[in-house]
Amino acid sequence: MMAGKSTDRRETISLRKRFFRITNLLFLVLIGIQFLPDQSANPALSMNVIWFAAGLEVLVLLVSAVIKRQAGLTLFLDIVGFIYVFLILWTLASAKFMWLKESLFPPPGRVFAQFIEDIDKVWVNVLSSLGIIVQGYLLAVVIAIPLGLFLGWKSRVGNAATYISKFLSAIPPIVYIPYGIALLPTFRSVSVMVIFLATFWPVLASTMSGVMNIEQKIVDSARVLNVNAFTMLFSVILPASLSQIFIGCNQGLTVSFILLTSAEMIGARNGLGYYVKNYSDFGDYTRTILGIIIIGIVVVFISFLFNRLQRYLLRWRR
Amino acid sequence: MSKIEIQHLSVDYKEKNSHFTALKDVTFSVEAGEFVSVIGSSGCGKSTLLSVLEGIHFPSEGDVLIDGTPVRGTGNDRGVVFQQYSLFPWMTARKNVEFGVKQARTNMEKKERYKIADEFLAKVGLEAFKNKYPSQLSGGMQQRVAIARALAMDTDILLMDEPFGAIDAKNRTILQELLLKLWEGDGTKSRKTVVFVTHDIDEAILLADRIILMSTNPGRVNCEIPVPFERPRNRAALVQTVEYSAFRNKLLALFYGDIASKIGGDEVVL
Ligand SMILES: Nc1ncnc2c1ncn2[C@@H]1O[C@H](COP(=O)(O)OP(=O)(O)O)[C@@H](O)[C@H]1O
Ligand SMILES: [Mg+2]
Repeated sequence: MMAGKSTDRRETISLRKRFFRITNLLFLVLIGIQFLPDQSANPALSMNVIWFAAGLEVLVLLVSAVIKRQAGLTLFLDIVGFIYVFLILWTLASAKFMWLKESLFPPPGRVFAQFIEDIDKVWVNVLSSLGIIVQGYLLAVVIAIPLGLFLGWKSRVGNAATYISKFLSAIPPIVYIPYGIALLPTFRSVSVMVIFLATFWPVLASTMSGVMNIEQKIVDSARVLNVNAFTMLFSVILPASLSQIFIGCNQGLTVSFILLTSAEMIGARNGLGYYVKNYSDFGDYTRTILGIIIIGIVVVFISFLFNRLQRYLLRWRR
Repeated sequence: MSKIEIQHLSVDYKEKNSHFTALKDVTFSVEAGEFVSVIGSSGCGKSTLLSVLEGIHFPSEGDVLIDGTPVRGTGNDRGVVFQQYSLFPWMTARKNVEFGVKQARTNMEKKERYKIADEFLAKVGLEAFKNKYPSQLSGGMQQRVAIARALAMDTDILLMDEPFGAIDAKNRTILQELLLKLWEGDGTKSRKTVVFVTHDIDEAILLADRIILMSTNPGRVNCEIPVPFERPRNRAALVQTVEYSAFRNKLLALFYGDIASKIGGDEVVL
């Protein structure tokens, strides 16, 4: 029954289920409305939307043709469908019917055009923001997890360290910014420090609580195997508390993005937050919207990778 | 000198403001290569006794000697199987066994360890499941892996605490016979010394050379009874003999007589 499980996984998906979906219909609608007359004062550059949608639809057809699991296909099509709906509403509300003020909400075609024009600049800002996050976040995780394992293991009954780290992880890390600015030389180092603190305390707290909630049976099983302290900590305690540790890591990641983009809006010379703030100050809302969309894409992409990692590392759970 | 000597062992659990005596003046020994079953009703301190042998609890009084040396902690001369949760859920069956072998044989090469793991998983009939995680295995399969691990570690002593207690009757029978077969071996290797805790009388008779019957409150040894049946044993043949029924009845009488004396009545209604 179980041995056959891996072979049973290949499902057959009918042609209709693969290619005749609402998402494909939405694609046609999106293309269709681009040919309505424009009402906007500036050129709407609708061809850009058509190219983008066409590229996306080619990808959709390819994925639809080769994907093996129906659940995966449905998820993918739903996401793309959502993007199409978003672009349809945006096109209608801006270029076609002008429900929104043109200077604040430029039509999608203009934002695509801006993206192509600014691609180098956008890329530099993405890398700058990601660099800071990766540095502060990884540093925090690499220090907080071993420390949490050690402290949690030394005090399996719960002690001051638990309460202190819980207390500190509850402080909104944004309050550290003034001190960072006073103490550290560059904006970059301030950002790294704030992200470090925003991640460090929750990861430490969740690691310690994970360790203290490990089932005694697991610990006993390891002890009777006569494992040494290092093996106990990293081959037993660490995996046994991993799902708890991920709670802190998730919290740190979410807060890091919010913090960084806010901080960049306050005082940076580059980064995605800076990009958005700078151009909105100049009234360039095409670039502001582009920046917001890029931030959204980066956050979604990182969360996706992070989720994948979490699912992989916890694959042994039912 | 016996392999395991338990001398006047007492264990107290200290709680906030009370002492609880789980074991009181327990004395018995186990010879090298002997299979001893410890039986007794639940709460009589069987697990406590075994945890002292495992080295994760310590005597309040008395001592436990292995090869003449007092036990001062866990050691890789002992393999352990618990009733449940002996396996690490984040390791596959194969990895669980290999991990055990690694702890017991610290200087063995990885390739060799995996070879041994595969060999023992095959012995318990799980070669097709070696890459499954414990959560993908039934309770019976998990216990097979735990047994495979304990055997693969090739320790002198095996300590088992109701290893089949949570398994359904049919699979329990299969596992008992598997353990019996693996322990009895083919006579080429010396047998392991086993302390096997159970509350199942038939299981104890089938497996053990000697039965230690414990009583409750405080936990102590009631009596020791040698099991008079030849090895290799065959369950189907054994249970049909008159000797088996007679022996079983004698044990039952001791078992329940003990309970009856505790409640103070002459009769126990089952
Ligand atoms: N950690 C502990 N703290 C306090 N009392 C315990 C502890 N472990 C077991 N006991 C008590 O000791 C007695 C014997 O327990 P145990 O050795 O598990 O018995 P058995 O395995 O025979 O059922 C029981 O009454 C139990 O409640
Ligand atoms: Mg018990």
